[in-house]
Amino acid sequence: MAPNPVPDHVPPEMVRDFSLFTSPGMLPTPNGDPHAAVACVHEGPPIFYSPYNTRDGQGTWVITRAKDQRRVLQDAETFSSHRSIFASALGENWPMIPLELDPPAHGVFRSLLSPLLSPKRVLVLEPAVRERAIALIKRIVASGRSCDVMKDFAVPFTVSIFLSFLGLPDHRLDTFVAWGKDLLHGDDEKRQVAARTIVAFIDELAAVRRKEPADDFMTFVVQAKVEGRPLTHEQVRGVGVLLFVAGADTVAAALGFDLAYLARNLKEQEWLRSEPDRIAPAAEELLRAYPTVQIIRVAKKDIDFEGAPIRKGDYVSCATMIANRDPTEFERPNTIDLARQENRHAAFGYGPHRCLGSHLARREIVIGLEEWLSRIPAFRIKESTAPIAHGGHLFGIENLILDWS
Amino acid sequence: MRIIVHTAKCQGHARCWAQAPGIFKLDDEGSILPGDIEVAEAEQLLASRAARSCPERALEVDHAPAAQVELDAVQPTARQV
Ligand code: HEM
Ligand code: SF4
Repeated sequence: MAPNPVPDHVPPEMVRDFSLFTSPGMLPTPNGDPHAAVACVHEGPPIFYSPYNTRDGQGTWVITRAKDQRRVLQDAETFSSHRSIFASALGENWPMIPLELDPPAHGVFRSLLSPLLSPKRVLVLEPAVRERAIALIKRIVASGRSCDVMKDFAVPFTVSIFLSFLGLPDHRLDTFVAWGKDLLHGDDEKRQVAARTIVAFIDELAAVRRKEPADDFMTFVVQAKVEGRPLTHEQVRGVGVLLFVAGADTVAAALGFDLAYLARNLKEQEWLRSEPDRIAPAAEELLRAYPTVQIIRVAKKDIDFEGAPIRKGDYVSCATMIANRDPTEFERPNTIDLARQENRHAAFGYGPHRCLGSHLARREIVIGLEEWLSRIPAFRIKESTAPIAHGGHLFGIENLILDWS
Repeated sequence: MRIIVHTAKCQGHARCWAQAPGIFKLDDEGSILPGDIEVAEAEQLLASRAARSCPERALEVDHAPAAQVELDAVQPTARQV
């Protein structure tokens, strides 16, 4: 792909040939380790400019240090998240809510939604999550001694939890998975079609719930009031679409990377299996080692940031996978230590947009691993298969075939 | 020992609560309740570990000098993978 012109205000010595999309190890690679590949940036300067670092090929500043990412993400006054990523694919301009709203509007919606995904609320959702995991794993155990973990477990598990949260029946699961796949990994045309389908679907679901309320998330959103007024159609859509995008693929990808790691490290696998209390802290370490999201902000004003002349309108990338391998933040960042303590990793971001689904996501991951490890004996990557891992705006893994014969 | 709570920095990660729910209390949105926290002697290790797990650095540990020495002596815990 042709490199973009670098803006005049970027000093040439600050430009580096690095990209989460095109650097070595970022394209889908059999037995690839895209997280280890990005960790190499820590050999260079703490901040630099990448001429090609978004899906549509724009340049961004790259903030590598966790401390600096914290500063960017905690300062929403200077670094805005208003980008209309989803809507712009449709040639439209409406924010996903709350992700693409800046304070103070952000806080109003965030407060509205937080109780639905709070740690206490997640305790209530937990039994259904565990039941779902058990049902899927039992089916896998009954059907043999090998499976494609993404297709047979991680994806149906996480998507069905998300569907029941939205208030949708499981029988549409395959349709949703296909939409999500096209949206996140399809070419431009597929993305557009998927985006339109998802919007139409959310709009319709909202209309149904206005007429026939149920005990679910969409009903809550259409009945909610913000500053005394119900949400507009566009706001309801913004919330629904964000949930679809944020909750659909992220947890499945995390489970995939975790199980791939354990399949390759049998001693650690057994260490967790023999003492399930170790799983929750281990899941934190795996979130540190294998996070999936690149966060991007837009500068709202000129600022000289740790030596970088950031100008209004510049994109600023805070890739969680880079912060999590920062040697000034983590001792031996490239060593995976499942017993690591004080693990203040950045997998869910920092600041006001910190992942609202993090409490649910954490429990899904821990419960998924608990049930998997207790029901499936020592497993490895199936001989003569190779899981394919990729970088990009959302890191992921596919073709993860496990074997315990 | 006292934990100084910088409420404005809290974004509701709930890492403190996950490790020590008896010490760190959350509101309905999942953010920490305002007000500094006095920690009983027996809970100091747990509390400071939990405070140090806050990704936003919203919790500051304020030891009496004696408590500091004690903590340094117990850590780091053995790792046994
Ligand atoms: C392991 C799985 C997940 C990861 C790694 C993850 C990661 C993230 C990150 C890094 C952000 C911050 C984005 C930014 O600052 O621009 C975020 C925001 C968000 N996530 Fe997640 N997420 C996960 C699962 C979920 C789930 C399951 C849900 C929904 C149930 C969810 C809902 C949200 C929402 C609503 C926001 C926007 C919050 C705001 O703007 O205030 N996420 N997520
Ligand atoms: S860990 Fe930090 S941000 Fe999270 S609830 Fe506790 S004080 Fe708030």
